[in-house]
Amino acid sequence: MTIIEKIFSRASGNEVRPGDYIWAALDLVVMRDFGGPNVVREYQSYFDNNKVFDSKKVVITFDLHIPARDERVARNQNLLRKFAREQNVRLFDVNNGIGQHIIIEQGLVRPGDVVVGTDSHMNLLGGIGVAGFGMGTTDIAGAMFKGRAWFRVPTTIKVIVNGGLQEFVGAKDVILFILKKLGTDGALNRAIEFYGETIERMNLEQRITIASMVTEMSGDIGFITPSAEILQFLGLNTNLDGIVADPEAQYEAVYEFSVTQLEPQIACPHSPDNVKNVREVAGIKVDQVFIGSCTNGRFEDLKAASLLLKGKKVKSGVRLIIVPATMAVAQKALTEGLYEIFLSAGAVVTNPGCALCTTGHPGILAPGEVMVSTSNRNFIGKLGKGAMVYLASPATAAATAIKGVICDPRDL
Amino acid sequence: MIIKGRIWKFGDDIDTDQIYPGKYLPLTDKSEMAKHAMEGTNRAEEFRKDLRSGDIIVAGKNFGCGSSREHAPVSIKEAGIACVVAQSFARIFRRNAVNIGLPIIQMREIGEIQDGDILQINLETGVIENLTSKKVYSGTPCSKLELEIMKAGGLLRYLKEAR
Ligand code: SF4
Repeated sequence: MTIIEKIFSRASGNEVRPGDYIWAALDLVVMRDFGGPNVVREYQSYFDNNKVFDSKKVVITFDLHIPARDERVARNQNLLRKFAREQNVRLFDVNNGIGQHIIIEQGLVRPGDVVVGTDSHMNLLGGIGVAGFGMGTTDIAGAMFKGRAWFRVPTTIKVIVNGGLQEFVGAKDVILFILKKLGTDGALNRAIEFYGETIERMNLEQRITIASMVTEMSGDIGFITPSAEILQFLGLNTNLDGIVADPEAQYEAVYEFSVTQLEPQIACPHSPDNVKNVREVAGIKVDQVFIGSCTNGRFEDLKAASLLLKGKKVKSGVRLIIVPATMAVAQKALTEGLYEIFLSAGAVVTNPGCALCTTGHPGILAPGEVMVSTSNRNFIGKLGKGAMVYLASPATAAATAIKGVICDPRDL
Repeated sequence: MIIKGRIWKFGDDIDTDQIYPGKYLPLTDKSEMAKHAMEGTNRAEEFRKDLRSGDIIVAGKNFGCGSSREHAPVSIKEAGIACVVAQSFARIFRRNAVNIGLPIIQMREIGEIQDGDILQINLETGVIENLTSKKVYSGTPCSKLELEIMKAGGLLRYLKEAR
Protein backbone atom coordinates (compact mmCIF):
# COMPACT_ATOMS: atom_id res chain seq x y z
CA MET A 1 0.00 0.00 0.00
CA THR A 2 1.03 3.60 -0.61
CA ILE A 3 1.05 6.13 2.23
CA ILE A 4 -2.42 7.50 1.50
CA GLU A 5 -3.82 3.97 1.20
CA LYS A 6 -2.37 3.15 4.60
CA ILE A 7 -3.67 6.29 6.23
CA PHE A 8 -7.14 5.91 4.74
CA SER A 9 -7.25 2.23 5.66
CA ARG A 10 -6.64 3.10 9.28
CA ALA A 11 -9.02 6.06 9.27
CA SER A 12 -11.85 4.15 7.58
CA GLY A 13 -11.37 0.85 9.36
CA ASN A 14 -11.22 -1.06 6.08
CA GLU A 15 -8.47 -1.92 3.68
CA VAL A 16 -8.89 0.59 0.86
CA ARG A 17 -7.85 0.72 -2.79
CA PRO A 18 -7.56 3.65 -5.19
CA GLY A 19 -10.98 4.64 -6.52
CA ASP A 20 -12.84 3.54 -3.38
CA TYR A 21 -15.20 5.98 -1.75
CA ILE A 22 -14.79 5.96 2.00
CA TRP A 23 -15.71 7.69 5.23
CA ALA A 24 -12.59 8.56 7.17
CA ALA A 25 -12.44 9.40 10.87
CA LEU A 26 -10.88 12.83 11.37
CA ASP A 27 -8.16 13.68 13.84
CA LEU A 28 -8.58 17.45 13.58
CA VAL A 29 -11.00 19.89 11.94
CA VAL A 30 -9.76 23.43 11.39
CA MET A 31 -11.58 26.56 10.33
CA ARG A 32 -10.31 30.07 9.96
CA ASP A 33 -11.52 33.65 10.09
CA PHE A 34 -12.29 33.50 6.37
CA GLY A 35 -14.71 30.68 5.58
CA GLY A 36 -15.22 29.85 9.25
CA PRO A 37 -18.19 32.18 9.77
CA ASN A 38 -20.09 30.45 6.96
CA VAL A 39 -19.21 27.07 8.41
CA VAL A 40 -20.70 28.16 11.74
CA ARG A 41 -23.85 29.48 10.06
CA GLU A 42 -24.30 26.21 8.14
CA TYR A 43 -23.56 24.18 11.23
CA GLN A 44 -26.10 26.03 13.34
CA SER A 45 -28.79 25.95 10.69
CA TYR A 46 -28.62 22.14 10.51
CA PHE A 47 -27.44 21.08 13.93
CA ASP A 48 -28.60 23.99 16.15
CA ASN A 49 -26.56 24.14 19.30
CA ASN A 50 -25.51 20.51 19.20
CA LYS A 51 -22.00 19.92 20.44
CA VAL A 52 -19.23 19.32 17.93
CA PHE A 53 -18.03 15.71 17.67
CA ASP A 54 -15.05 16.32 19.95
CA SER A 55 -14.23 19.76 21.30
CA LYS A 56 -10.52 18.87 21.49
CA LYS A 57 -10.44 18.05 17.79
CA VAL A 58 -11.88 21.29 16.48
CA VAL A 59 -9.65 24.35 16.17
CA ILE A 60 -10.24 27.88 14.94
CA THR A 61 -7.35 29.96 13.62
CA PHE A 62 -7.35 33.61 12.65
CA ASP A 63 -4.82 34.17 9.91
CA LEU A 64 -6.26 36.07 7.00
CA HIS A 65 -7.86 39.40 7.83
CA ILE A 66 -6.01 40.04 11.05
CA PRO A 67 -6.48 42.27 12.92
CA ALA A 68 -10.00 42.81 11.54
CA ARG A 69 -9.75 45.17 8.60
CA ASP A 70 -13.39 46.31 8.53
CA GLU A 71 -16.63 46.01 10.40
CA ARG A 72 -17.92 42.97 8.53
CA VAL A 73 -14.74 41.05 9.27
CA ALA A 74 -14.86 42.18 12.90
CA ARG A 75 -18.40 40.85 13.23
CA ASN A 76 -17.40 37.55 11.60
CA GLN A 77 -14.47 37.17 13.95
CA ASN A 78 -16.71 37.77 16.94
CA LEU A 79 -19.12 35.15 15.67
CA LEU A 80 -16.23 32.67 15.75
CA ARG A 81 -15.08 33.78 19.21
CA LYS A 82 -18.60 33.25 20.51
CA PHE A 83 -18.84 29.84 18.86
CA ALA A 84 -15.47 28.86 20.36
CA ARG A 85 -16.66 29.79 23.87
CA GLU A 86 -19.98 27.99 23.50
CA GLN A 87 -18.41 24.88 22.06
CA ASN A 88 -15.34 25.02 24.24
CA VAL A 89 -12.98 24.69 21.28
CA ARG A 90 -9.55 26.30 20.99
CA LEU A 91 -9.25 29.54 19.12
CA PHE A 92 -5.95 31.05 18.08
CA ASP A 93 -6.71 34.74 17.88
CA VAL A 94 -5.10 37.52 15.81
CA ASN A 95 -1.72 37.27 17.56
CA ASN A 96 -0.82 33.78 16.32
CA GLY A 97 -0.39 33.34 12.60
CA ILE A 98 -1.09 30.87 9.80
CA GLY A 99 -3.33 28.03 10.94
CA GLN A 100 -1.49 25.08 9.40
CA HIS A 101 1.78 26.23 10.97
CA ILE A 102 0.10 26.88 14.32
CA ILE A 103 -1.28 23.35 14.53
CA ILE A 104 2.18 21.97 13.73
CA GLU A 105 3.90 24.19 16.31
CA GLN A 106 1.29 23.36 18.94
CA GLY A 107 1.73 19.63 18.38
CA LEU A 108 -1.95 19.24 17.47
CA VAL A 109 -1.18 16.92 14.55
CA ARG A 110 1.03 13.88 14.21
CA PRO A 111 2.16 11.91 11.18
CA GLY A 112 -0.59 9.61 9.92
CA ASP A 113 -3.44 11.88 11.05
CA VAL A 114 -6.28 12.93 8.77
CA VAL A 115 -7.01 16.65 9.02
CA VAL A 116 -9.49 18.82 7.15
CA GLY A 117 -9.79 22.60 7.06
CA THR A 118 -11.13 25.55 5.14
CA ASP A 119 -7.85 26.56 3.52
CA SER A 120 -6.76 25.42 0.06
CA HIS A 121 -3.26 24.66 1.35
CA MET A 122 -4.08 22.30 4.22
CA ASN A 123 -2.10 19.73 2.27
CA LEU A 124 1.18 21.37 3.28
CA LEU A 125 0.77 19.12 6.33
CA GLY A 126 1.90 16.32 4.01
CA GLY A 127 5.39 17.75 4.59
CA ILE A 128 5.30 16.08 8.02
CA GLY A 129 3.34 13.02 6.91
CA VAL A 130 -0.11 14.31 7.88
CA ALA A 131 -2.99 13.87 5.41
CA GLY A 132 -4.38 17.43 5.25
CA PHE A 133 -7.23 18.42 2.93
CA GLY A 134 -8.79 21.78 2.14
CA MET A 135 -12.57 21.68 1.77
CA GLY A 136 -15.68 23.80 1.37
CA THR A 137 -17.93 25.11 4.12
CA THR A 138 -20.50 22.30 3.92
CA ASP A 139 -17.79 19.68 4.24
CA ILE A 140 -16.27 21.35 7.27
CA ALA A 141 -19.65 21.88 8.95
CA GLY A 142 -20.39 18.17 8.50
CA ALA A 143 -16.90 17.22 9.65
CA MET A 144 -17.31 19.22 12.84
CA PHE A 145 -20.58 17.52 13.64
CA LYS A 146 -19.68 13.95 12.75
CA GLY A 147 -15.91 13.78 12.95
CA ARG A 148 -15.92 12.10 9.56
CA ALA A 149 -15.59 13.14 5.94
CA TRP A 150 -15.96 11.28 2.67
CA PHE A 151 -13.08 10.81 0.28
CA ARG A 152 -12.24 9.14 -2.97
CA VAL A 153 -9.00 7.23 -2.42
CA PRO A 154 -6.51 8.65 -4.93
CA THR A 155 -3.87 6.82 -6.91
CA THR A 156 -0.30 7.82 -6.06
CA ILE A 157 2.58 9.07 -8.13
CA LYS A 158 6.16 8.97 -6.98
CA VAL A 159 8.54 11.88 -7.44
CA ILE A 160 12.21 11.19 -6.79
CA VAL A 161 14.62 14.11 -6.52
CA ASN A 162 18.36 13.51 -6.36
CA GLY A 163 21.47 15.63 -6.31
CA GLY A 164 23.01 18.39 -4.22
CA LEU A 165 21.69 21.92 -4.64
CA GLN A 166 23.83 24.85 -5.70
CA GLU A 167 24.27 27.84 -3.43
CA PHE A 168 21.11 30.00 -3.28
CA VAL A 169 19.00 27.19 -4.72
CA GLY A 170 16.44 25.83 -2.27
CA ALA A 171 13.18 23.98 -1.76
CA LYS A 172 11.11 26.62 -3.56
CA ASP A 173 13.26 26.31 -6.66
CA VAL A 174 12.92 22.52 -6.53
CA ILE A 175 9.12 22.58 -6.29
CA LEU A 176 8.80 25.24 -9.01
CA PHE A 177 10.95 23.05 -11.22
CA ILE A 178 8.71 20.03 -10.50
CA LEU A 179 5.63 22.17 -11.23
CA LYS A 180 7.11 23.11 -14.56
CA LYS A 181 7.59 19.43 -15.38
CA LEU A 182 4.22 18.16 -14.12
CA GLY A 183 1.98 21.17 -14.88
CA THR A 184 -0.96 22.61 -12.98
CA ASP A 185 -3.04 19.47 -13.44
CA GLY A 186 -0.14 17.04 -13.21
CA ALA A 187 -1.36 15.50 -9.97
CA LEU A 188 -5.13 15.86 -10.48
CA ASN A 189 -7.01 13.41 -8.24
CA ARG A 190 -3.71 11.95 -7.13
CA ALA A 191 -1.44 11.81 -4.14
CA ILE A 192 2.31 12.32 -4.47
CA GLU A 193 5.10 10.71 -2.48
CA PHE A 194 8.42 12.54 -2.57
CA TYR A 195 11.68 10.64 -2.25
CA GLY A 196 15.35 10.97 -3.08
CA GLU A 197 18.39 12.33 -1.27
CA THR A 198 17.56 15.97 -2.01
CA ILE A 199 14.20 15.65 -0.29
CA GLU A 200 15.43 13.43 2.53
CA ARG A 201 18.08 15.99 3.47
CA MET A 202 15.52 18.79 3.76
CA ASN A 203 14.61 20.35 7.09
CA LEU A 204 11.08 20.97 8.31
CA GLU A 205 10.53 24.30 6.56
CA GLN A 206 11.87 23.02 3.25
CA ARG A 207 9.59 19.99 3.41
CA ILE A 208 6.62 22.26 4.05
CA THR A 209 7.55 24.42 1.06
CA ILE A 210 7.60 21.32 -1.16
CA ALA A 211 4.33 19.87 0.14
CA SER A 212 2.45 23.19 0.05
CA MET A 213 2.70 23.53 -3.71
CA VAL A 214 1.13 20.16 -4.45
CA THR A 215 -2.08 22.23 -4.47
CA GLU A 216 -0.79 24.05 -7.55
CA MET A 217 -0.45 20.70 -9.33
CA SER A 218 -4.09 19.94 -8.40
CA GLY A 219 -2.92 17.10 -6.18
CA ASP A 220 -4.90 15.83 -3.19
CA ILE A 221 -1.81 15.59 -1.00
CA GLY A 222 1.96 15.24 -1.22
CA PHE A 223 3.79 13.25 1.43
CA ILE A 224 7.31 13.35 2.73
CA THR A 225 7.88 10.68 5.35
CA PRO A 226 9.40 12.38 8.40
CA SER A 227 12.94 11.48 9.32
CA ALA A 228 13.94 10.75 12.91
CA GLU A 229 15.30 14.32 13.22
CA ILE A 230 12.04 15.81 12.02
CA LEU A 231 10.11 13.81 14.60
CA GLN A 232 12.52 14.85 17.29
CA PHE A 233 12.25 18.47 16.23
CA LEU A 234 8.48 18.21 16.41
CA GLY A 235 8.75 16.59 19.81
CA LEU A 236 6.73 13.66 18.55
CA ASN A 237 7.24 10.08 19.38
CA THR A 238 5.33 8.48 16.56
CA ASN A 239 5.56 5.01 15.18
CA LEU A 240 6.13 5.51 11.48
CA ASP A 241 4.74 2.14 10.40
CA GLY A 242 1.40 3.62 9.41
CA ILE A 243 2.96 6.18 7.09
CA VAL A 244 5.72 4.33 5.29
CA ALA A 245 4.76 2.93 1.90
CA ASP A 246 5.14 -0.82 1.44
CA PRO A 247 7.89 -1.96 -0.92
CA GLU A 248 5.26 -3.51 -3.20
CA ALA A 249 3.07 -0.36 -3.25
CA GLN A 250 1.58 0.45 -6.67
CA TYR A 251 2.35 3.80 -8.28
CA GLU A 252 0.57 5.24 -11.25
CA ALA A 253 3.74 6.94 -12.44
CA VAL A 254 7.29 7.54 -11.29
CA TYR A 255 9.22 10.73 -12.09
CA GLU A 256 12.89 11.08 -11.38
CA PHE A 257 14.75 14.39 -11.45
CA SER A 258 18.33 15.43 -10.87
CA VAL A 259 18.75 18.93 -9.47
CA THR A 260 22.53 19.31 -9.36
CA GLN A 261 22.40 21.81 -12.23
CA LEU A 262 19.20 23.51 -11.10
CA GLU A 263 19.30 27.30 -11.13
CA PRO A 264 17.02 29.64 -9.15
CA GLN A 265 13.51 29.31 -10.60
CA ILE A 266 10.65 31.77 -11.01
CA ALA A 267 6.99 31.28 -11.99
CA CYS A 268 5.94 34.05 -14.35
CA PRO A 269 2.44 35.56 -14.69
CA HIS A 270 -0.19 34.17 -14.56
CA SER A 271 0.33 30.52 -13.78
CA PRO A 272 2.43 28.69 -11.18
CA ASP A 273 3.71 26.31 -13.86
CA ASN A 274 4.92 29.09 -16.15
CA VAL A 275 8.39 28.52 -14.71
CA LYS A 276 11.70 29.86 -16.05
CA ASN A 277 15.24 30.27 -14.80
CA VAL A 278 15.45 33.57 -12.92
CA ARG A 279 18.22 34.68 -15.27
CA GLU A 280 15.84 34.40 -18.24
CA VAL A 281 13.65 37.18 -16.86
CA ALA A 282 16.28 39.09 -14.90
CA GLY A 283 16.07 42.87 -15.24
CA ILE A 284 12.28 43.21 -15.19
CA LYS A 285 11.43 46.16 -12.98
CA VAL A 286 9.39 45.43 -9.86
CA ASP A 287 7.22 47.62 -7.64
CA GLN A 288 6.85 45.32 -4.68
CA VAL A 289 8.37 42.22 -3.12
CA PHE A 290 6.60 39.98 -0.61
CA ILE A 291 8.38 37.47 1.61
CA GLY A 292 6.01 35.29 3.62
CA SER A 293 2.95 32.98 3.26
CA CYS A 294 2.44 29.38 4.33
CA THR A 295 4.87 28.30 1.62
CA ASN A 296 7.83 30.50 2.59
CA GLY A 297 7.11 32.34 5.83
CA ARG A 298 9.10 30.25 8.29
CA PHE A 299 12.28 31.20 10.13
CA GLU A 300 14.67 29.58 7.65
CA ASP A 301 12.95 31.51 4.86
CA LEU A 302 13.36 34.84 6.64
CA LYS A 303 16.91 33.91 7.53
CA ALA A 304 17.76 33.24 3.88
CA ALA A 305 16.42 36.67 2.97
CA SER A 306 18.26 38.35 5.85
CA LEU A 307 21.63 37.00 4.72
CA LEU A 308 21.25 38.96 1.49
CA LEU A 309 19.61 42.03 3.03
CA LYS A 310 22.17 42.47 5.78
CA GLY A 311 23.75 45.91 5.51
CA LYS A 312 21.86 46.61 2.28
CA LYS A 313 18.96 48.87 1.38
CA VAL A 314 15.82 48.08 -0.54
CA LYS A 315 15.98 49.89 -3.88
CA SER A 316 14.23 53.22 -3.64
CA GLY A 317 10.78 53.10 -5.17
CA VAL A 318 10.39 49.41 -4.30
CA ARG A 319 8.28 48.18 -1.38
CA LEU A 320 9.51 45.12 0.49
CA ILE A 321 6.89 43.51 2.73
CA ILE A 322 7.94 40.76 5.10
CA VAL A 323 5.46 38.70 7.09
CA PRO A 324 6.46 35.87 9.42
CA ALA A 325 4.17 32.83 9.25
CA THR A 326 3.65 32.66 13.01
CA MET A 327 4.39 34.49 16.23
CA ALA A 328 7.00 31.88 17.15
CA VAL A 329 8.78 32.63 13.87
CA ALA A 330 8.57 36.36 14.62
CA GLN A 331 9.97 35.86 18.13
CA LYS A 332 12.90 33.91 16.81
CA ALA A 333 13.51 36.46 14.07
CA LEU A 334 13.54 39.13 16.75
CA THR A 335 16.01 37.41 19.06
CA GLU A 336 18.28 36.48 16.17
CA GLY A 337 18.47 40.07 14.95
CA LEU A 338 16.50 39.69 11.72
CA TYR A 339 14.15 42.58 12.48
CA GLU A 340 17.13 44.89 12.81
CA ILE A 341 18.33 43.85 9.36
CA PHE A 342 14.88 44.10 7.76
CA LEU A 343 13.96 47.46 9.25
CA SER A 344 17.35 48.98 8.49
CA ALA A 345 16.99 47.82 4.91
CA GLY A 346 13.70 49.68 4.68
CA ALA A 347 11.29 46.75 4.73
CA VAL A 348 7.75 46.84 6.10
CA VAL A 349 7.36 44.00 8.57
CA THR A 350 3.81 43.22 9.64
CA ASN A 351 2.16 40.91 12.14
CA PRO A 352 2.23 37.14 11.46
CA GLY A 353 -0.42 35.74 9.13
CA CYS A 354 -1.20 34.92 5.51
CA ALA A 355 -0.86 38.50 4.37
CA LEU A 356 -0.25 39.08 0.70
CA CYS A 357 -1.38 35.72 -0.51
CA THR A 358 -4.78 36.83 -1.61
CA THR A 359 -6.98 39.87 -2.17
CA GLY A 360 -8.52 41.63 0.76
CA HIS A 361 -5.25 42.18 2.56
CA PRO A 362 -3.21 45.38 2.79
CA GLY A 363 -0.49 45.45 0.17
CA ILE A 364 -2.63 44.80 -2.89
CA LEU A 365 -1.19 46.04 -6.18
CA ALA A 366 -2.39 48.70 -8.59
CA PRO A 367 -3.09 47.76 -12.22
CA GLY A 368 0.11 47.09 -14.14
CA GLU A 369 2.30 46.81 -11.04
CA VAL A 370 4.81 44.00 -10.75
CA MET A 371 5.50 41.93 -7.64
CA VAL A 372 7.87 39.12 -6.82
CA SER A 373 6.27 36.97 -4.12
CA THR A 374 7.36 33.91 -2.16
CA SER A 375 3.74 32.74 -2.00
CA ASN A 376 2.19 29.90 -3.97
CA ARG A 377 -0.26 31.29 -6.53
CA ASN A 378 -0.07 33.95 -9.20
CA PHE A 379 -3.45 33.63 -10.88
CA ILE A 380 -4.66 36.61 -12.82
CA GLY A 381 -6.39 39.18 -10.62
CA LYS A 382 -5.66 37.39 -7.35
CA LEU A 383 -3.63 40.30 -5.99
CA GLY A 384 -5.22 43.15 -7.85
CA LYS A 385 -6.61 43.67 -11.33
CA GLY A 386 -3.91 43.89 -13.96
CA ALA A 387 -1.11 43.09 -11.51
CA MET A 388 1.79 40.91 -12.61
CA VAL A 389 2.93 38.42 -9.98
CA TYR A 390 6.07 36.27 -10.10
CA LEU A 391 6.66 33.44 -7.63
CA ALA A 392 10.16 32.75 -6.35
CA SER A 393 12.30 31.79 -3.35
CA PRO A 394 13.06 34.10 -0.41
CA ALA A 395 16.63 34.51 -1.68
CA THR A 396 15.49 35.56 -5.15
CA ALA A 397 12.89 37.85 -3.58
CA ALA A 398 15.49 39.53 -1.35
CA ALA A 399 17.96 39.99 -4.23
CA THR A 400 15.16 41.48 -6.32
CA ALA A 401 14.19 43.93 -3.56
CA ILE A 402 17.77 45.17 -3.34
CA LYS A 403 18.22 45.56 -7.09
CA GLY A 404 14.71 46.80 -7.88
CA VAL A 405 14.61 44.41 -10.81
CA ILE A 406 14.19 40.62 -10.94
CA CYS A 407 17.58 39.29 -9.92
CA ASP A 408 19.19 35.89 -9.51
CA PRO A 409 20.65 35.88 -5.97
CA ARG A 410 23.94 34.60 -7.42
CA ASP A 411 24.24 37.78 -9.47
CA LEU A 412 23.76 40.21 -6.61
CA MET B 1 -33.83 8.30 -8.89
CA ILE B 2 -35.23 9.30 -12.29
CA ILE B 3 -34.90 12.85 -13.54
CA LYS B 4 -36.67 14.15 -16.63
CA GLY B 5 -36.20 17.61 -18.05
CA ARG B 6 -35.40 20.01 -20.83
CA ILE B 7 -31.81 20.60 -21.89
CA TRP B 8 -29.67 23.72 -21.72
CA LYS B 9 -26.50 23.01 -23.60
CA PHE B 10 -23.12 24.54 -22.72
CA GLY B 11 -19.55 24.00 -23.94
CA ASP B 12 -16.24 22.91 -22.38
CA ASP B 13 -14.49 24.45 -19.39
CA ILE B 14 -17.44 26.34 -17.94
CA ASP B 15 -15.65 27.72 -14.88
CA THR B 16 -17.06 28.84 -11.55
CA ASP B 17 -16.85 32.50 -12.59
CA GLN B 18 -19.16 31.77 -15.51
CA ILE B 19 -21.50 29.76 -13.31
CA TYR B 20 -21.49 32.33 -10.52
CA PRO B 21 -19.50 35.55 -10.99
CA GLY B 22 -17.14 36.40 -8.13
CA LYS B 23 -18.74 39.78 -7.51
CA TYR B 24 -21.76 38.07 -5.95
CA LEU B 25 -19.73 36.07 -3.43
CA PRO B 26 -20.87 38.24 -0.49
CA LEU B 27 -24.49 37.13 -1.00
CA THR B 28 -25.66 34.61 1.58
CA ASP B 29 -29.37 34.33 0.72
CA LYS B 30 -29.83 31.33 -1.55
CA SER B 31 -32.78 32.73 -3.49
CA GLU B 32 -30.66 35.80 -4.23
CA MET B 33 -27.81 33.58 -5.39
CA ALA B 34 -30.20 31.75 -7.72
CA LYS B 35 -30.80 34.96 -9.68
CA HIS B 36 -27.17 34.99 -10.81
CA ALA B 37 -26.79 31.36 -11.89
CA MET B 38 -24.86 31.02 -15.17
CA GLU B 39 -24.65 34.81 -15.35
CA GLY B 40 -21.05 34.75 -16.60
CA THR B 41 -21.93 32.66 -19.67
CA ASN B 42 -23.01 34.00 -23.06
CA ARG B 43 -26.52 32.65 -22.45
CA ALA B 44 -27.10 34.61 -19.24
CA GLU B 45 -30.08 36.64 -20.49
CA GLU B 46 -31.92 33.66 -21.97
CA PHE B 47 -31.18 31.53 -18.95
CA ARG B 48 -32.58 34.08 -16.55
CA LYS B 49 -35.77 34.57 -18.60
CA ASP B 50 -36.62 31.07 -19.86
CA LEU B 51 -35.34 28.70 -17.20
CA ARG B 52 -38.00 26.35 -15.88
CA SER B 53 -37.71 24.42 -12.67
CA GLY B 54 -36.64 20.86 -13.51
CA ASP B 55 -34.46 21.82 -16.49
CA ILE B 56 -31.14 20.05 -17.02
CA ILE B 57 -27.71 21.41 -17.93
CA VAL B 58 -25.60 19.42 -20.41
CA ALA B 59 -21.99 20.55 -20.73
CA GLY B 60 -18.61 19.51 -22.10
CA LYS B 61 -15.49 18.68 -20.17
CA ASN B 62 -14.21 20.11 -16.91
CA PHE B 63 -17.48 21.68 -15.82
CA GLY B 64 -17.04 23.82 -12.68
CA CYS B 65 -13.29 24.34 -12.89
CA GLY B 66 -11.80 27.35 -11.13
CA SER B 67 -12.40 28.37 -7.55
CA SER B 68 -13.78 26.23 -4.75
CA ARG B 69 -16.86 28.43 -4.24
CA GLU B 70 -19.92 26.47 -3.20
CA HIS B 71 -22.05 29.31 -4.52
CA ALA B 72 -21.66 27.79 -8.00
CA PRO B 73 -23.63 24.56 -7.46
CA VAL B 74 -25.91 26.26 -4.94
CA SER B 75 -26.98 28.94 -7.42
CA ILE B 76 -27.71 26.35 -10.13
CA LYS B 77 -29.69 24.17 -7.78
CA GLU B 78 -31.68 27.04 -6.30
CA ALA B 79 -32.42 28.35 -9.79
CA GLY B 80 -34.26 25.08 -10.41
CA ILE B 81 -31.78 22.95 -12.34
CA ALA B 82 -32.56 19.31 -11.58
CA CYS B 83 -29.31 17.75 -12.78
CA VAL B 84 -26.03 18.56 -14.51
CA VAL B 85 -24.73 16.16 -17.16
CA ALA B 86 -21.14 16.75 -18.25
CA GLN B 87 -18.32 14.96 -20.02
CA SER B 88 -16.29 15.58 -16.87
CA PHE B 89 -16.47 17.67 -13.72
CA ALA B 90 -13.77 19.58 -11.88
CA ARG B 91 -12.95 17.81 -8.62
CA ILE B 92 -14.10 20.48 -6.19
CA PHE B 93 -17.26 21.28 -8.12
CA ARG B 94 -18.15 17.61 -8.09
CA ARG B 95 -17.60 17.36 -4.36
CA ASN B 96 -19.56 20.54 -3.67
CA ALA B 97 -22.46 19.46 -5.90
CA VAL B 98 -22.75 16.15 -4.08
CA ASN B 99 -22.52 17.90 -0.71
CA ILE B 100 -25.33 20.32 -1.44
CA GLY B 101 -27.51 17.67 -3.10
CA LEU B 102 -27.31 18.78 -6.73
CA PRO B 103 -27.55 15.61 -8.88
CA ILE B 104 -24.74 15.21 -11.41
CA ILE B 105 -23.76 12.51 -13.87
CA GLN B 106 -20.92 12.03 -16.31
CA MET B 107 -21.53 11.13 -19.94
CA ARG B 108 -19.11 11.04 -22.87
CA GLU B 109 -21.36 11.37 -25.96
CA ILE B 110 -22.99 14.71 -25.40
CA GLY B 111 -22.37 15.73 -29.03
CA GLU B 112 -25.71 14.55 -30.39
CA ILE B 113 -27.79 16.15 -27.68
CA GLN B 114 -29.48 19.34 -28.82
CA ASP B 115 -30.47 22.32 -26.84
CA GLY B 116 -34.15 21.93 -25.87
CA ASP B 117 -34.21 18.10 -26.12
CA ILE B 118 -35.89 16.23 -23.30
CA LEU B 119 -33.65 13.82 -21.36
CA GLN B 120 -34.60 11.14 -18.92
CA ILE B 121 -31.80 10.19 -16.55
CA ASN B 122 -31.54 7.24 -14.23
CA LEU B 123 -28.94 8.34 -11.69
CA GLU B 124 -28.38 4.82 -10.31
CA THR B 125 -27.96 2.86 -13.53
CA GLY B 126 -26.52 5.70 -15.58
CA VAL B 127 -29.00 5.08 -18.41
CA ILE B 128 -29.73 8.36 -20.17
CA GLU B 129 -32.55 8.49 -22.72
CA ASN B 130 -33.06 11.30 -25.15
CA LEU B 131 -36.85 11.29 -25.37
CA THR B 132 -36.71 13.75 -28.28
CA SER B 133 -34.34 11.78 -30.53
CA LYS B 134 -35.21 8.40 -28.97
CA LYS B 135 -31.54 7.57 -28.49
CA VAL B 136 -30.23 5.82 -25.40
CA TYR B 137 -26.82 6.47 -23.83
CA SER B 138 -24.98 5.10 -20.88
CA GLY B 139 -23.46 7.59 -18.48
CA THR B 140 -21.12 6.89 -15.58
CA PRO B 141 -23.19 7.01 -12.44
CA CYS B 142 -21.77 8.50 -9.27
CA SER B 143 -20.45 6.19 -6.56
CA LYS B 144 -22.94 4.66 -4.16
CA LEU B 145 -21.77 6.95 -1.40
CA GLU B 146 -22.18 10.08 -3.52
CA LEU B 147 -25.67 8.97 -4.57
CA GLU B 148 -26.72 8.43 -0.98
CA ILE B 149 -25.61 11.95 -0.06
CA MET B 150 -27.29 13.50 -3.11
CA LYS B 151 -30.51 11.64 -2.46
CA ALA B 152 -30.60 12.73 1.15
CA GLY B 153 -30.56 16.30 -0.16
CA GLY B 154 -26.93 16.98 0.68
CA LEU B 155 -24.22 16.15 3.17
CA LEU B 156 -25.60 17.92 6.21
CA ARG B 157 -29.06 16.38 5.89
CA TYR B 158 -27.41 13.02 5.32
CA LEU B 159 -25.29 13.33 8.44
CA LYS B 160 -28.17 14.64 10.51
CA GLU B 161 -30.30 11.65 9.60
CA ALA B 162 -27.44 9.25 10.15
CA ARG B 163 -26.85 10.29 13.76
S1 SF4 C 1 -0.76 31.89 2.96
FE1 SF4 C 1 -2.35 31.76 1.41
S2 SF4 C 1 -2.44 29.63 0.77
FE2 SF4 C 1 -1.28 29.76 2.67
S3 SF4 C 1 -2.75 29.36 4.29
FE3 SF4 C 1 -2.67 31.55 4.00
S4 SF4 C 1 -4.29 32.04 2.50
FE4 SF4 C 1 -3.90 29.84 2.41
